[in-house]
Amino acid sequence: METKVGVFFCNCGGAIKNIDFDAALREVARLPGVISVNLDSSLCLEEGKERMVSSIRDEKMERVVVAGCSPLLKEHIFQGILEKAGLNKHLLSMANIREQCSWVHDGDVTAKAVDLVRMAINRVLLLQPVETKETAVSKEVLVAGSGFAALNVALQLSHLGLRTTVMEEGPVLRAGSEEPAAVYGVDASSIIAEVEANENVEVLTSARVMTLEGKVGGFGVRIKKAGKETFRRYGAIVLATGHRTEIVNPGAEAGASVVSQKAFTDILRNSSLEREPRTVGFILDFSDENSRFPTLATLNSALAAKKKWGSEIYVFYKSVKVDSEGVERLYQQARDSGVVFVKSETAPKIGVEDGRVKVEGRDVFAGEDLVLACDVLVAEELYLPAEGTETFSSLLNVRTDPKGFWQDDNVHLYPVGSEKKGIFFVGGCRGDLDPGRMLADISGVAMNIGELLSAGKVAADFERVKADPQKCVACLTCIRVCPHGAIQLVRVESSKDVAQISDLACDACGVCAAVCPAKAIAFQGYRDEEILAQIEAIKRS
Amino acid sequence: MNGKIVAFCCENSAYPAADLAGKLGLHYSENLRIIRVPCAGRVDVIHILKALENGAAGVLVLGCEEGACRHITGNTRAKERVEYSSMLLREINLDGRVVAMFNLSPNAPHKFVKAVNDIGNITAEPGR
Amino acid sequence: MENNNNVLVVGSGISGIASALELANAGVNVYLLEKEALVGGHSASFCCKATDICSQCSACVVSDKVKEAITDPRITVLTGSTIKRLRGEAGDFHVEVVRRPLYVNGERCIACGLCTGVCPTDPKAIHPPFAEALPFSFVLDDGLCLRIKGERCDLCRTSCPTGAIEFDLKAKEEELNVGAVIVATGFDVFDAREKGSLGYGRYPNVVTGLDLEHIFAREGYLRLPTDGSEPKNIAFIQCVGSRDEGHGYCSQVCCKYAMRLAGLIRYQNPDARVTIFYIDLQTAGKGFAQFYEKYRQDIRFVRGVPVEILQTASGELEVKFEDISRGRVSRDNFDLVVLSVGISPAKNSWDLARILGINLADDGFFDVKDPLSRNETNVEGVFLAGTCQGPKDIPDSIGHGIAAASKAMQVLAKPVGRGRAS
Repeated sequence: METKVGVFFCNCGGAIKNIDFDAALREVARLPGVISVNLDSSLCLEEGKERMVSSIRDEKMERVVVAGCSPLLKEHIFQGILEKAGLNKHLLSMANIREQCSWVHDGDVTAKAVDLVRMAINRVLLLQPVETKETAVSKEVLVAGSGFAALNVALQLSHLGLRTTVMEEGPVLRAGSEEPAAVYGVDASSIIAEVEANENVEVLTSARVMTLEGKVGGFGVRIKKAGKETFRRYGAIVLATGHRTEIVNPGAEAGASVVSQKAFTDILRNSSLEREPRTVGFILDFSDENSRFPTLATLNSALAAKKKWGSEIYVFYKSVKVDSEGVERLYQQARDSGVVFVKSETAPKIGVEDGRVKVEGRDVFAGEDLVLACDVLVAEELYLPAEGTETFSSLLNVRTDPKGFWQDDNVHLYPVGSEKKGIFFVGGCRGDLDPGRMLADISGVAMNIGELLSAGKVAADFERVKADPQKCVACLTCIRVCPHGAIQLVRVESSKDVAQISDLACDACGVCAAVCPAKAIAFQGYRDEEILAQIEAIKRS
Repeated sequence: MNGKIVAFCCENSAYPAADLAGKLGLHYSENLRIIRVPCAGRVDVIHILKALENGAAGVLVLGCEEGACRHITGNTRAKERVEYSSMLLREINLDGRVVAMFNLSPNAPHKFVKAVNDIGNITAEPGR
Repeated sequence: MENNNNVLVVGSGISGIASALELANAGVNVYLLEKEALVGGHSASFCCKATDICSQCSACVVSDKVKEAITDPRITVLTGSTIKRLRGEAGDFHVEVVRRPLYVNGERCIACGLCTGVCPTDPKAIHPPFAEALPFSFVLDDGLCLRIKGERCDLCRTSCPTGAIEFDLKAKEEELNVGAVIVATGFDVFDAREKGSLGYGRYPNVVTGLDLEHIFAREGYLRLPTDGSEPKNIAFIQCVGSRDEGHGYCSQVCCKYAMRLAGLIRYQNPDARVTIFYIDLQTAGKGFAQFYEKYRQDIRFVRGVPVEILQTASGELEVKFEDISRGRVSRDNFDLVVLSVGISPAKNSWDLARILGINLADDGFFDVKDPLSRNETNVEGVFLAGTCQGPKDIPDSIGHGIAAASKAMQVLAKPVGRGRAS
C-alpha cells in the first residue's frame, strides 16, 4: 500500500504573488502518494500550526511535505508539529518556494514551485523514522599536561563532579616551573597543593598515552607508567601540553649574557647575578611576529628590572603586540618609566665587545644606527609546539595547524574544540599564549565538558548513520575518512568485523556514505536513493 | 529537465547563502534546482552523473570556503569528485566545464549568484 | 527551595549569544534581552572576507550561532527590551524589564512584504531588516512613520495578513526572576567625526571599517560611494580612536580586519593598490600567520599614522602623513580611505552601570574584579561577556561569553542565601 503523503503550501500571508497556488495544488494533488493538499497563509504561527496538527491526525498522513519558506529557520517548528501529531519528526521534507523561488525570479514561477514540491515528495516517500536514544557516558576526564592551564582545568572539572586524571610525561608537575608562571610570579605551589589534595583529581607523573580508541563518552586510553600499562575509559580528553621556546641564535660568543625570558625572570627573582646589570637589552618581534607573550613578558620584566636595579633598559622591536587586555597601559607605563623602545625594521646584530653584549640596530624614528652595549640581553625566542606534539597528534589522530601547534586552523573549532567530539585544547599548546584568553579558555573547556558528561548520559539520534553488516567489507575507508573520528571497527559475529558509527561522535556530514565502495552506509535523510529521487523528480520541460 | 542546472548546496554554506540572496532580492536563472546536502562531501560522482543523465544542462556543487568546512575536508573531497566527473565527461567528448565546484560562505549571497550565472553562461553557449 | 535555573543575558551580540547557547546546552533557561528589534549585534552585519581560502574572520560563525540561538527552545528572546531595575541577590534576582512597542511583532511577522508595498513614505518607514537579521521580521522606523508623527495612516496595519502590526501600544513591563545576570551589551564604534581633520562625514569616499563591512555585505563588491566606480587606490588608516588620548588601549580587531579587507579588495581586483598606515602591526593570534606572509607581499605598509585628509579638485583624497622610515612628511593620493575605527564603550553604559550597580573602569568599559579572569563584576552574580568589558575579536568574544556562562552556572549551583523564604 502506498505511503500517504500530505502536502501543505504556505502562501506567506497572501504575499507570494508569482505562484498560482490553485494550479499548483491541483497539479500536486494528482501526484502518486499524495492524499491531501492544503493551502495556508501562515503555517508557522500558532493558528496555522494547530490546523496542521489536526490535518495530519485527521487525514492519517504518514509523511509530510511543507512548501514554504526556508527550512533552515522553520524546520524545527514543523518537526515539532509532526511529533505533536504523532509522527516521527524525520518524516518531513520541505520545499523552499519562497527564498529560493518566489523571491529570486521575476514572472510566474508556478512551474518551478511545483518542481520543488515534486522533489520533496519523491524524497519524503523514501524517508524512514529515526529514534532518539540515550547513551551512558563516562564521567571521567583525562587531562594531558600539568602546567598552569592543565591544573586549573582539572580543578574546575572536579568542582563539576567529574573525576579528572592529570597525566604528565615528566617526573614532576610542571606548573610553576614553566615559563608563564615564572614570568608572572604566579605562586603555582598553591595550585599544585590544591590539586594534590583534591580527591577528585588523580595525578599520574612519568606517564604517557600509548594508544587511544573509542569515541566521546567512552574513549579507551592505554596509559603506560613505570613500565606498567593500564587501560582506562574517559568521557572526554583535554590536551594542555604546553609549548617550548628556542632562542633565536644570536651567535655563540655572547654566551651566558644572552638569556631567555624565563631565565631573566629567574635572575630578577633570585638576584643571581654577581653585579646588578647597568644596562639590559631586549629583542622582540622580528623572527616571530605571531606571538603576544614576548611583548607581555618583556614589559613585565623591563618594569621589574627598572624598579629593582634602576638599569637602563632598551627594547629593540618591530611591533609591540598590545592587542591584549591591559598591555597598552603597561607599554605606556614602561615608556613613562624610562624604558627606551627602539623601533626597527630588521633584527639587530648581536656580538660581543669588551666582555659585554653588543647590539647593533637601526632606529626607524631617528633614522640612525644605534649601538648598545649591555650586560644582559634577553634574546628573541621562537614559540614552538611542545616536543612530541607531532607524534601525539598521529597517535590520537587529532589535527594540528601548519606550525605544528594543536588545533586545526578552522573558525568553527575556535576557541577550544577539535574536530573530534570530546577532545579539547587549552593553554599555550594552541599556539598563541595570552593569560587572559587562556583563563577564558579554561572556563570554556570546563563548561563544554560539563555539558557533555555531567548527566552521565547523552541523548542522540539512534543509528541515523549506519553501516549495513551484510554489505560492509571492513575496508576501513570510512574509518580513515571520517573527519570526526566517529567510526570504529567492531566484531559483530564470531569472525565478522563491521564499521560502527558512534551516535555521539557522528556529526552527520555523510562523507562516509559517499566514500564507501560497497555503498553499505545508510545516512537516513540523505541516502543515495533519497538524493537520486530528487534528481529524477525534476521535470524535463 | 532541459536547460536545468542542478545545484547541490551544502547546508552550512550555499543553502543559507541562497536564502540570503532571496532576502536581498537578488535574481538568478529560474532554471536552478537546489538539492540540500549536509556537507558538499556527501555528494558523490554518481549523483553528479545522474543529474546529467536525467537531462540537466549543468551541475554545481557548492561547499564551504577552503579551510572553513565544518567537517574539515568535506569540501576538498567534493572538489576531487567534481574534477573526476569533469574528466569522465571529457573522456566521452563532452564539455567538462558543465560540472563545477564553488566555495563560499553562508553570508556570501553574491558569490552564490555569481556561481549560478557563471555555469548558466557556460551551458548557454551556442553549439551545445 | 529549588535553585533558580534561569539566567538573564543582556545583549544579543555574539558574546551574549555564545553565553546563551552554552547555558541552554547545560539545561538552563535563558532570557536573552535585546534593546533593538533585531538580534545579532554588530558582528551579524559583517561580510565574508574569503579570498580563494577562508580568511578566518569568523563573520559566518556569528550567523550560524544567531540562528541556533533563536531556534533553541530553552532561549526566550525579548527584543525591544531594556532593564529598568535590578533587585535581589545572586541566586535570586528580580529584574524589571521594559519592553518598548516595536509596532511589528517579531513573533507574528512572516516577512511577506505586503506592508512595505503599501507604505506611503519614501524611504519606506516599514521595511525589511538587513538581510542577515534575525528574526527576519520587518522593522518600523518611528522617525519616518506618518502615524507615529501624528498623521492618519493605517495602511500597513490593515494590509498585514497576520495582524503583526499594532499601533497605540504602550511599553510593557515584565519581571524576570533569575539566578544570575550576564551583561553582554557590546560596543559602539569610535565616531570618526571626532577626528575632523580626517574628513569623515565631509568626504563621501572616506569611510570607516564598519562602513566597508556593510558595503561588502550588501553589494558583494567594492564601489566608490561617490560615483559607483571601482576604486584603484585604497588606504587604510589604523588606530582611529584607539591608542590615543582618551583611548588608552588597543582595539584588538582593527589591524586584522584591515588586512583581511585589504586582501579581499586585492582578490577581487588584482590591479587595486592598498596601503595600510599603522603604528604597531597586530599580527598575533591563532591562524593568522599563514595570511600574514601573503599580506606582506600584497599590501604596502607605511609606518606613520596620517593626521590630515583633504579632497583634491579631481575628487581624490590627499593623505598627509609622517613617513617615518624616510623621516619626512609626505602626501599620497587615494580614491578611497578607510578609517579603522576602534571599539569604544557603548554610549548607554552609564545607565546600565547605575541600574545594575556595577562599576565602570577608567577607559569606560565595565570594570572587572579580577583583571585576568575578566568576567566577575563588583556585584556577585552579575557577570560580563564580550566587548562591553573591553575590545575583543569574534573568537575571543565567544570564548569570553562561554566563560561568563560557566561562572553563571556556578552561581546557580550554589545553595540560595539565607533569609530566602521557601
